[in-house]
Amino acid sequence: MKSYKICIIGGGIIGSSIAYHLAKFGEKNVAVFEKSYISSGSTGRCGGGIRQQWSARMNVRLAMRSVKLFERFKEDTGFDIEYKQGGYLLMAYSEDEAARFEKNVKMQKEEGLEVEILSPKMVKERYPYINTERLVLATFGPTDGHANPHLANFGYIFAAKKLGVDVYTHTEVEDIDVVNKKIMGINTTAGYFKCDVVINAAGGWSGEIGKMAGVDIPTTSYRHQIFVTEALESFFPFMAISFDGNFYMRQTKHGQFIMGMGDPDEKPGINRDVSFRFEREMAEKMVKIFPFLENTRIIRHWAGCYNMSPDAQPIIGCSKDVEGFCYAVGFSGHGFMLAPAVGEALAQKLIFGRPKEVEIDFLDIDRLKGKSFEVEGNVV
Amino acid sequence: MDRARVKAQLLVVGGGPAGLTGAIAAAENGVDVLVVDEGLEPGGQLVKQTHKFFGHQGFYASKRGFEIAKILKDKVKNLGIKVMSQTTLVGFYDDCAVAYDRENNRTIEIDYDYVLLATGASERFLIFKNNMLPGVYGAGAVQTLMNQYGVLPGEDFLIVGAGNIGLIVAYQIMQAGGNVRAIVEISDKVGGYEVHANKVKRMGIPILLRHTIVEAIGKGRVKGAVIARVDENYRIIEETKREIVVDTICLAVGLQPSVELANQLKVELVYIPELGGYIPRRDENMRTSASNVFVAGDLAAIEEATSAMAEGYIAGYAIAQDITGKDLSKEMERYREELNDLRRGPFGEKIRKGLRKMGIDVPSGGYREENQKDFGPVGKLRAVIECYQNIPCNPCEAVCPTNAIDTGGNINGIPHINYEKCVGCAMCVMKCPGLAIFMVQEFDEYSVVGIPYEFEPLPEKGQKVILMDRGGKEVGEGVVHRVMVNKKDKTHVVFVAMERGLERTVRHFRLPTREEEKIVCRCEEVTREDVEKAIDMGFTDFEELRRYLRIGMGPCGGRTCRLLAAGILARKLGKSIEEISPMTLRPPSIPLPFSAILRGDEK
Repeated sequence: MKSYKICIIGGGIIGSSIAYHLAKFGEKNVAVFEKSYISSGSTGRCGGGIRQQWSARMNVRLAMRSVKLFERFKEDTGFDIEYKQGGYLLMAYSEDEAARFEKNVKMQKEEGLEVEILSPKMVKERYPYINTERLVLATFGPTDGHANPHLANFGYIFAAKKLGVDVYTHTEVEDIDVVNKKIMGINTTAGYFKCDVVINAAGGWSGEIGKMAGVDIPTTSYRHQIFVTEALESFFPFMAISFDGNFYMRQTKHGQFIMGMGDPDEKPGINRDVSFRFEREMAEKMVKIFPFLENTRIIRHWAGCYNMSPDAQPIIGCSKDVEGFCYAVGFSGHGFMLAPAVGEALAQKLIFGRPKEVEIDFLDIDRLKGKSFEVEGNVV
Repeated sequence: MDRARVKAQLLVVGGGPAGLTGAIAAAENGVDVLVVDEGLEPGGQLVKQTHKFFGHQGFYASKRGFEIAKILKDKVKNLGIKVMSQTTLVGFYDDCAVAYDRENNRTIEIDYDYVLLATGASERFLIFKNNMLPGVYGAGAVQTLMNQYGVLPGEDFLIVGAGNIGLIVAYQIMQAGGNVRAIVEISDKVGGYEVHANKVKRMGIPILLRHTIVEAIGKGRVKGAVIARVDENYRIIEETKREIVVDTICLAVGLQPSVELANQLKVELVYIPELGGYIPRRDENMRTSASNVFVAGDLAAIEEATSAMAEGYIAGYAIAQDITGKDLSKEMERYREELNDLRRGPFGEKIRKGLRKMGIDVPSGGYREENQKDFGPVGKLRAVIECYQNIPCNPCEAVCPTNAIDTGGNINGIPHINYEKCVGCAMCVMKCPGLAIFMVQEFDEYSVVGIPYEFEPLPEKGQKVILMDRGGKEVGEGVVHRVMVNKKDKTHVVFVAMERGLERTVRHFRLPTREEEKIVCRCEEVTREDVEKAIDMGFTDFEELRRYLRIGMGPCGGRTCRLLAAGILARKLGKSIEEISPMTLRPPSIPLPFSAILRGDEK
């Protein structure tokens, strides 16, 4: 029978980052189980933004640590992930939102983040190709940016493999073996694997994996659609995003514009079909704000999911009910950008007893039990 | 009004290799020197020479021209020698010499005790129909534009003249990204060094002997040229005329000494065709018929930069000896010996003959003439030297760390290699100014040849290349095995693996052009090689492979590439296509404009 110290369920960016960091800090007796291929879930379907401008202070810290790790990603893994620190332009379309942004910026600056407030006039001057009609205020964080999520996912997986981690793709976890509230192993389509620790990094399926271990994970998955245009010449270095305007958009290294929005009417569940209504609503909204898009063509439209937690913040930690069951789930649409710091922190917690660079205790599942909690507002 | 009047014990006219070395030799011995030079900066022709020089290791050999210029300029600066740049010496009048400072548009009067004329030479022109068309350049002009100013004056070149200058310019044009369609040479042999000729031949540039240019074609600028064969009397054979399409014609048909100032100084001029035509008569210490006037460099005889520097030193020391009374005969002797060695071989024959007419004897012979016969022990990584002319040059011998290479006691000797001593380090390959040394090693299944390479971009390990033989003929495909990067002087060594047996034939390679590369995905320009490389890296899951290479992410939605890439993967893994590619094809099936979606609202 094969056995590992730690089995990670999910070969997306979160599972891969945890695997890489575990191996990097010395724990190489690790395997990753992915039911499809690497980056087949939310990672490979996401927009690729890397943002530090959050409304919750701890998220800012976590994101800032992630950026530090993205900056040395190539050095660490040998993979060029098309990382570009072109900034993030947050656009507020209401007075309420503008007031929130001003409050956030104050907090973000306290945390040492470089960020500035821009009037609509300043936005127009800097980016004449944006229609600033109805814009109330914007904030700009120059060290935010974006990267290619597939390449980042592959980068971590390849680096982890190199350090000795085993990766099982097209291998589905069917059950988790728990005896006397303690993890014993996992049953998979490739057989039984004995292990001491299981880490749930299953993204959209995190709730189901929780059930297998008898641990209630309060996450719900919702479809999010996204599409990409043909390539234009590069001129748009930053990610543009609005929470009350409900959109985000960036230009990839290859010149394509990738964009999406949320849909409040979306029903829970995994759904990878796409709707034309989405294209219609996006076209109407985006051409108004970014008129240069009018004659651009959409070439591919797909869907992934947000694994939402009740407060739109990730749930990271280890269960107090089942020994050896840990989780990094419920990233609510921003798992890609947090993955480096989360993988590092959880690996350090498991190996050294606590994270060394950034705190993650505030993301423990207990925060969601009964008490009131702070909902992260900066989510599309 | 006060006039600018300058005094110098020695006035050097011309800041090329001869003038600068003369100035250095004199200044080192306490002479007050002024150099007047026409150029933007001193260095003369050296500043535009990007090839490595031949000669004695230790006497600037294996350094590139512009690097030699830098060394000389630094010495001049450190010695505090005054240099007037962008200044032309317009005349030696009976009361003073007059220089014209072109930058400030003013004249400067100069008093001097001695003069060293190092005015060099000008390019010869050629008479043919339409030779005034824009697009007809001298080789020097092409080098200036290309190597000093970074401008390539055309795309497709015809070069007239296969002396060293024509051959070197052809090579430099190729390095700069131009194409040389042909080199025509009216005589029946290449005038320049064989190693220089080989460098261009193996790139596939034809050298057409007994050919010349008849006419430049074009209105307003060169669009082509008519070339033809000539008979033994150099007359054009009409029926051999043919047109070639070029946009630039580069004349490299020789130089003539610039004797204008020598004539004004009333030194005796003699006509010696072997030395370039009219030249000042001078003795073995470079003194002309006027006792305070010396000459050096191309003005003294059309030769090359290394001999110009040796002559410069001799003249400088002779002048310093006159002025200071110091005995510098040993120094002069040393450089005369250097000159004798440079002129001893077959390429010095003309010079020897010319100098004899002036009563100066130069010894000849006394060096090894036999070629090495053996190719070395099969299977051992070793150097192979393809240098079969008696050229005064020995950097290979000097650089070899195990003393495996020797030129037989004289710098003009053919280098031989002792294969028991050769350790395969390839230092000689990187050093050889003629790029005439290669590395060879045979294995059971394949062979590897190390090729000196001075082009950009450098290929990467694993990259496919097109193999070429000594004549530039494509003889197959190879794979880059190893790249030895030579950061110091940029002659890199690229080891290419090839079919066994080709190691005796292949001496050059080129990178496949984009059109030749086997494109799998047209939208994202992914080649077959990219796909194979990614699979080898470990991207054996088709969906991962697609995402890594962006296959199918372009406007065509994967119509071209999907099955091609899947086929490559299937073959590599020994699986069927159905097994590996469950495909998700996403809308829209053709690119859909935002504007069309918006107009969907209109009734």
